[in-house]
Amino acid sequence: MIFAGLPLAQLVAIFGAVGFGVLVLYILKLRRRVAAVPFSPLWERILRDKEATTLFSKLKRLASMLLQLALLALLVLALGDPRAAESLLAGRTVVVLIDASASMQATDVAPNRLAVAKEEVRKLARALGGADRMLVAQMDAMVTPLGPLSSDTSSLERQLEGIHATDTRADFARALRFATDVLRGYDRSEIVVVSDGALGEASDASGPVHLGHASLSYIKVGRDARNVGITQFSVRRYPLDKSRYEVMLELTNTGPDDEDVELQLLGDGALVDLTKLRLRPRERLPRFYPQLSGASRTLEAKLARVDGTHDALPADDRAYALLPERRRARVLVVTEGDTYLDAALLLDEYLDVTDVTPKGYSAAIGKGNWDAVIFDRVTPAEWPKTNALYLDPRGGGAPVRVEGELKQPSFDKIERKHPILRFLALDDVNVATGRRLVPESGDKVLGAADRGASPILVAGTRGGNKFVALGFDVRDSDLPLRVAWPLFILNCIDWFTNEDAQYLSSLRTGDIWRLPVEASVTQALVKRPDGVSQPVPVHEGRAVLVGEQSGFYELTAGDETTTFAANLLDASESAIEPKDQLMVGSTTAGAVAGFRPGVRREIWIYLLLVAALLSAIEWATYHRRVTV
Amino acid sequence: MSRISIFPWRRDKKATQPLTDDDLFDEEFQRKLDYLALVSRRVFAGRLRAERRTKKSGTGVEFADYREYQPGDDFRYLDWNVYQRFDRLLVRLFEEEEDLAIYLILDTSASMGFGEAKKFTYAKKVCAALAYVGLANLDRVSIVTTSDRVLDRMPETRSKARIFKVFRFLREAATNGRTDLEDAMKTFVAQHKRRGLAVLISDLYDPRGFEKGINVLRYNKFDPFVVHVVDPSDARPKLHGDLLVYDCETGDEREVTVTAKVLQRFAKVHGQYLAQIERYCATHQVPYIAASVDVAFDEMILRVFRRGGFLR
Repeated sequence: MIFAGLPLAQLVAIFGAVGFGVLVLYILKLRRRVAAVPFSPLWERILRDKEATTLFSKLKRLASMLLQLALLALLVLALGDPRAAESLLAGRTVVVLIDASASMQATDVAPNRLAVAKEEVRKLARALGGADRMLVAQMDAMVTPLGPLSSDTSSLERQLEGIHATDTRADFARALRFATDVLRGYDRSEIVVVSDGALGEASDASGPVHLGHASLSYIKVGRDARNVGITQFSVRRYPLDKSRYEVMLELTNTGPDDEDVELQLLGDGALVDLTKLRLRPRERLPRFYPQLSGASRTLEAKLARVDGTHDALPADDRAYALLPERRRARVLVVTEGDTYLDAALLLDEYLDVTDVTPKGYSAAIGKGNWDAVIFDRVTPAEWPKTNALYLDPRGGGAPVRVEGELKQPSFDKIERKHPILRFLALDDVNVATGRRLVPESGDKVLGAADRGASPILVAGTRGGNKFVALGFDVRDSDLPLRVAWPLFILNCIDWFTNEDAQYLSSLRTGDIWRLPVEASVTQALVKRPDGVSQPVPVHEGRAVLVGEQSGFYELTAGDETTTFAANLLDASESAIEPKDQLMVGSTTAGAVAGFRPGVRREIWIYLLLVAALLSAIEWATYHRRVTV
Repeated sequence: MSRISIFPWRRDKKATQPLTDDDLFDEEFQRKLDYLALVSRRVFAGRLRAERRTKKSGTGVEFADYREYQPGDDFRYLDWNVYQRFDRLLVRLFEEEEDLAIYLILDTSASMGFGEAKKFTYAKKVCAALAYVGLANLDRVSIVTTSDRVLDRMPETRSKARIFKVFRFLREAATNGRTDLEDAMKTFVAQHKRRGLAVLISDLYDPRGFEKGINVLRYNKFDPFVVHVVDPSDARPKLHGDLLVYDCETGDEREVTVTAKVLQRFAKVHGQYLAQIERYCATHQVPYIAASVDVAFDEMILRVFRRGGFLR
């Protein structure tokens, strides 16, 4: 027996002091009220029977005193919180990882898998031993402990109320590392995973997770495997016709049966396309929708069974995307006349192009709020206070220094990943003459001749504005005759105006999102798909948050509000078939054991109950004059 | 109104103090006594109390019997007619006519004055009433106050006009001391050679036994009559809880825890005690009247005493 409360010495001292007081009270003769009677022999007749039982009366008084001392002993013992030594030393420390990933929203078990998982954990909490302690953590893209290690059943049950399912995948490795960190140093440690088993490999960038001496248990939740989900969804505008767009999506049947589904594509809430499909078991079906139009902002894909019912996991039956926002770019072209350039600029109807001669440049530059200026074989003395494309720059006004003439330079080195050069094939462009550009520090050489020694295409920033410089006259080359020419021009303008053809149409839930906001903003506000707004921190010009729900978000930073979409798009989460076994490395999780519902090992509770019972008996016997 | 004590364990000494009640014989009581006298006169009409016949032959006017002449007899009582006819000397005997000695023995022990002294007040009224009846009928009335001895004595007196002497005597009477009827009656018997009616007015709370005092009267040829003054509140004491009870006369202490059950048992024991007294008197042909203080005094005298055969 070990006292987890007050130490034994203090208990003995308390019992001795209070017990002595009780004894003194019993030893002291009870002072009775005095009353006169006219004829005491009549009272003696009544008391005659009692006198015959004087010894019994003394015994009753002794019993009463012993009862009081027993009461005191019970209360003092309760103060000591006595526990069986073996249970205290061998108390378990349990970390329960509740899977709150998207697959736990499956409704194959009523009401859903997460609710069943919470009920399972509730049973475990109620069956904790007196010396056991438990920590409950929510496992999704992050690991969220819901409280400290505790043996308080009611507290643990309250913590469970705060768990909610997310549209994310579970980061099993992160959760296991958290659990092993918590359990480090405890002798009897146990990790209980309550999940459908769709957790993937327990390894991350640091390698596989080692459980150490902690034992692993697994409670399986879920029953069915039938599910069809949208596992890929992407949309982009055409670079040369931004009023049209194309959509790529992928459907996956993770179940064992054929599934007939109906796929709806909604643009700005209106139906754009409707397709009925049949997916074979385990089939991944990519679908490509080219040349779509009719939506300017939002796209949504909805999946439903042909018979009108929903499958077990509705979370992956919808996907959302946002088309890049279109706006007209104002472009000033300073040229003596260039048909090739004019033709290229005509390809984008969202461009407002103004042509001026070099003489009219000074007047024109100050009149409009230009998004870009194209200098065709013209180089002003000063840099314009906007983005600029220099075609064959000359003189001191060029953003880069121009040196020596190059004979038949070719693009020997190309920075293909730069947005300006996307979709461009410049390797075989023939150039008669060109000039070597000398970039400054921070400038990016996008193309260079002489095996990279002579830059002929440079990009960078000057005075906070972007520039691109091409070191040859395009009319001295065959570039205008190629598809690459208009793409180059439009890519440059898109780059200047931050319109990216590779615009990311949606984010993935579970990732840490870093969304660019104005540099002066320190805090932003995001409105989630469920309508709840939450503040998010801004770090180095980016709002940082972890997305847990799929749908459309609104991010407000300062005066600017931007919208973005987020999707689950995870085939592993769509595969909802519960796993019978859970493996971590070579360790197979066992069944949960050692939890016996209804057994509380806090002895002090029972001591108080017995004390209350004795007190009730004492009260009853006293008032019935049995012990007086 | 009951007095609230700061120290409840202290004995209330005043509980045993004799009561002095100057209003004991007020006008109303006087009128009742006058009325009682009339009733008594009607009851006693023809029953010559002051001229009572006795078993002794004497100088009365009522012829009683004849007997043989004995030398020394008064010649005046010889019946000469009989001598002439039968030649026998017979002496005529006449009944002796005497008055009656009535002794009113009033218990003045402390128990009579217990509480609000209802019993003592009631006993004094009864005593006065009986004395008035006796005086009005030319009997010799004497009043004796006793506790464990004879405390005081009003000498034998006659005539209704002496009733105020009775009142004065009773007014000065006070309760005190313990009850010992045997010793008190022995003293009384020794002091009163003339036998007569001995009316014992008491609550009969005698620790040594009420029978012994009555027996002393019986054995000494007195005609005892018991007026048992009963206060019903004695059977229902207003006590509760852990108490140290003490006898107001003897001071004997007893620790007792009074509960409703105990009070029930006490009432039962008290009733048994009263029944025991009544049974004793019936067995020994001692006239017995239980005079409850809750019964109106005039009703007690006019109805209960008459029904009990004491007054006719």
